[in-house]
Amino acid sequence: MQDISLHLLDIIENSIRARAKNIKVRVIHNVAKNSLRLIVEDDGTGMDTDTLAMAQNPFYTSKSEREKKVGLGIPLFKQNAELTDGCFNMTSQPGFGTVLTVEFTLDHIDRMPLGNLRATLLGAIIGHPEADFNIILIYREKGKEQSFHFETAAIKEELGDIPLTYPDVIEYIDQSLKEGIQNTNMEDV
Amino acid sequence: MKTLADLKKIREKAQEDMKLRGGNVRIKIVVGMGTSGIAMGAREVMKTFLEEISNRNLTDVLVTQTGEKGLSSMEPVVDLIEEGKAKVTYGNMNPDKVKKVVVEHIVNGRVVSDYVVATGD
Repeated sequence: MQDISLHLLDIIENSIRARAKNIKVRVIHNVAKNSLRLIVEDDGTGMDTDTLAMAQNPFYTSKSEREKKVGLGIPLFKQNAELTDGCFNMTSQPGFGTVLTVEFTLDHIDRMPLGNLRATLLGAIIGHPEADFNIILIYREKGKEQSFHFETAAIKEELGDIPLTYPDVIEYIDQSLKEGIQNTNMEDV
Repeated sequence: MKTLADLKKIREKAQEDMKLRGGNVRIKIVVGMGTSGIAMGAREVMKTFLEEISNRNLTDVLVTQTGEKGLSSMEPVVDLIEEGKAKVTYGNMNPDKVKKVVVEHIVNGRVVSDYVVATGD
């Protein structure tokens, strides 16, 4: 993976595969604390303690042998965070869901860029109409805080039976994300 | 700033559209978004499909994402599913190839055989 938002996309896909109906994504760009933190919370099937430990092992995958041989998504994300003296934490409970918290040291030389958060979120939201997304972006520096909050449930309710792939809806969601990402200084992180 | 009032307008317009053409989905596009697909550029493939749909105002197609399909060496992989026709799987996709598939296959109904890696189930 070339950037952090690709890892984020990979994690969102895990949540979807765990049949999550609600996915909460928080990205906190904290200049004062020199940290870039991502939190992904889902209400999917969750994992027991053993599975949770194995999920961090590169040769574990929940998919069958025919589909896939290795499961590198989570271990690589973890490695990339730890390379920056950051941390990676995953907690889960069967039947309740999974929470993943990843922290990168903002100015660490080995930190990969956040990358195209806009394309990641747009694709995930439109590609998975079955799940509701709750996205919060926060930018903090000394004495200043800006945030952006985006919820797809309200949008879907307003749209009724109009699909998210309707051209004007794509445009609407894309523009909203663009503004939010600009307002919280997440463009070139 | 985008507001829910904008969405109301979009809904009204979309409902008019749907009345005119019956509201059917003609083609379903499924982009493989497994770990290897993502690492190979599936996000940009998805993004290009969405841009093309928006720019060309294609109101009768649907795009979704799916996980790993066991075709890791051909990622990014995209399925095009049309009712009454065999499924077409395109492999090794990139934004330029997506644009070509949109024009040729989705708009003009001609399969781009150069990019096809599988057909049927």
